[in-house]
Amino acid sequence: MLLADEVSSHHPVLSDNPYQPHMARIVRIYKMVENNHLFTLRFLEDHLAHSFRHQPGQFIMLSIPGAGEMPISISSSPSRPEVLELCVRRVGRVTNALYRLRTNDVVGVRGPYGNGYPMQEIIGNDLLLAAGGLGMAPLRSLLWYALDHRDKFNNITLMYGAKRPEDMLFREELTALVDRTDINCLLTVDADPSATWKNHIGRLPSLFDHAKIDPMRTYAAVCGPPVVYKFILQRLLELSFPKNHILMSLERRMKCGIGKCGHCGIGYKYTCLQGPIFTYWDAINLPEMI
Amino acid sequence: MSARISREDLRKLVAEWLAAGKKVFGPVRVKAGLELYAPLDSAEALLLDGWIRPANSIKELVFPRHEALYGYRILKNRVELVDLAAEIPEQIAIGAHPCDAAALAALDKVFNWDYRDEFYNRRRAATTVITMACAAHDDQCFCTSVGLGPEAERGSDALLHERDGGYEVRAISEKGRILLGGLAGETACPTAQTSGANTPPRRFDSAQVAAFAKEHFEDPYWAERALACLGCGACTFTCPACHCFDMVDEGNGREGVRARNWDACQFPMFTLHASGHNPRANQGARQRQRIYHKFVMYPDKFGEVLCTGCGNCSRNCPVGLGVLPAATEIGNG
Repeated sequence: MLLADEVSSHHPVLSDNPYQPHMARIVRIYKMVENNHLFTLRFLEDHLAHSFRHQPGQFIMLSIPGAGEMPISISSSPSRPEVLELCVRRVGRVTNALYRLRTNDVVGVRGPYGNGYPMQEIIGNDLLLAAGGLGMAPLRSLLWYALDHRDKFNNITLMYGAKRPEDMLFREELTALVDRTDINCLLTVDADPSATWKNHIGRLPSLFDHAKIDPMRTYAAVCGPPVVYKFILQRLLELSFPKNHILMSLERRMKCGIGKCGHCGIGYKYTCLQGPIFTYWDAINLPEMI
Repeated sequence: MSARISREDLRKLVAEWLAAGKKVFGPVRVKAGLELYAPLDSAEALLLDGWIRPANSIKELVFPRHEALYGYRILKNRVELVDLAAEIPEQIAIGAHPCDAAALAALDKVFNWDYRDEFYNRRRAATTVITMACAAHDDQCFCTSVGLGPEAERGSDALLHERDGGYEVRAISEKGRILLGGLAGETACPTAQTSGANTPPRRFDSAQVAAFAKEHFEDPYWAERALACLGCGACTFTCPACHCFDMVDEGNGREGVRARNWDACQFPMFTLHASGHNPRANQGARQRQRIYHKFVMYPDKFGEVLCTGCGNCSRNCPVGLGVLPAATEIGNG
C-alpha cells in the first residue's frame, strides 16, 4: 500500500482527459539481450495495479515525461496480473530516455489499447505462434495466456527464431519450455558461433519440418520483421491456412492511441483501435499494410 | 418566417458581444489579397464584402494548432501531473462559410467515435457558428462536388443570407436561437438561391474519386501527381477538415507540458518508425493518403466525405496541387 500522502499526490487530477497517463514504477529491469530489456512496471495506484486488465496482443502508450510517449506491446499475460512487462528495444529518442531510467523511477501508462487477439475464436483450437526477433514481444503475452489456460487449447506450437543464441529474447524461459510435453516449443538460430546452442540451427521457416500443423483447426499468430511475414505467410498459405486464421501483429507510428490523431491509418482502419492484430484477410484488403 | 438585420445592426451585434467579453472570430483583411479568420478586436474589423474565402479555417476555434493536454513535474522518484484544463470562454464565429461550418460536423464524429475527446468537445460546446451564405465563388470552389452548396446548413448554428443591402437571419440550432434571440427567423429564406451565381459548377463525382483511389492504389498516377509536391503541409493546415495531430513533450527534464500540435500526412516523419522503416515512404503515397482518407477511409467509417470543397488546399499550395486538380482528373470517369 502507498502511504496516504503519496496517494494524494498521484491521484488522477485530470478530469475527462483521455490522454492522461497513470503513473507506474519500474520495479525491475532485466537485460535479456543488449538493448532489448524487459521492463516490469507496477501502477502506483494500488487499485489500478489490481484492476488493470488487458487481452493478449494489446498495447499501451508508455510515457517518459520530458521525452514523450510511444506505443509498446504488452509482453506479460493477463493471466499474471498486478505487473506489466514490456520488452523494449532501444532504438529511438523515447526508448533512449527509457533506458536512462533506473529501477524505482516513474513512467506513465495509458491503455490498454487495440483489439488484441480474438481469444474467443482461438479458444478450442490449435495454436501456432511464429515469431522472429523482436516479434516475440507481443506473442509472449499470448503464449503464457495459452499455457496458463492450457485446457482451453488443443495443440500449441511455438516457432521462434533469432540471429544467434545471445540474441534470443526470453531465452531462459523459452528453452525451459522445450522439454514440456504440452507444447511443441521449437527454437532456432541462424548461426551459433559460440557452439553452445542445443536447439535448432537454421532459418525460421525450416521449423515447419518439425511441426504437425492442421491448418483447418489452427490459428497462427505471426509477428516479426517484414522478412518473417514474407516467408512465414508463404508457408502458411502453402499449407492452405484459412486467411482469417492467420493473425498478424503490426506496428505503426502512433501518437494518440485512440483513433484521433491520424498517424496509424492503414486503408480504412486505424491500427490503434481496429488493430494492431489483423488477419491475413485484412492484409490483402488493406493497402499499404506490410 | 425569416428575420432581417441591417449591416449596421450586424456590426452593433458584434460590438455587443465583444463588450460582453465574448471572443468573436470573423474574416479580416490582413493585407490586400490576404483574408484570414481571426479574433475581432472591433466590430469594424469584420470583413463583410469583397472576399471569397480566408486562407485559413475556423477549425482553430475547436482544434487549436497548439493545445496543452496536461502539465508534468518531475520530482525525485515521482512525477506529478498538472491539470491545465481552463474554462473555455464563449466564442462566436461570424461570417464563416458553409464549407467551414460543415467541416465542424465532420470533426465532431472523429473526436467522438469510440473514445471521446473532451478537449475538442469543451471548445465545440463553447462555440457558436453563424455562417454567411456565399454570395460568390472562385474557380477553386467545389462544394457542390462533395454534396454541399453555398447555402448549406451543416454544422451552422445560424445562417445569414445577404439580401438587399442587409441580411436575412435564420437560426438552425438551439445555440443559434439563444445567441440571436428575437433577431432570427426559423424558416428558410424564401428567396434563397440554390443555383445562382454563387454556386460553383459540379467539377467531379466524389464516388468516382473513391473508386479510383481504391482500385488504382498502386497506380503510377500518384507518384506523377506528386512530383511537384514540396511536402510543406499547407494543404492540411489550411483545410477546415484535416485534423491529424502530433503529441510532444514541451519543456525540460524537470517540468513542462504534453501538448498536441497540428501534424500533416504530407510530412515524411508522419509515419516514420524509430527503426527507420517508413510504411508510407514517398510523396506520391502521401498525396494518395490525403485523397484516400478524405474520400475512402472517412466515408467508410462515417458515411460522408471529409472534404467540404472549400478549395483552400489548392489556393494555398505553392505548386498548384490539392484536392480539386486531382479529383477532376480521377473523378470524371
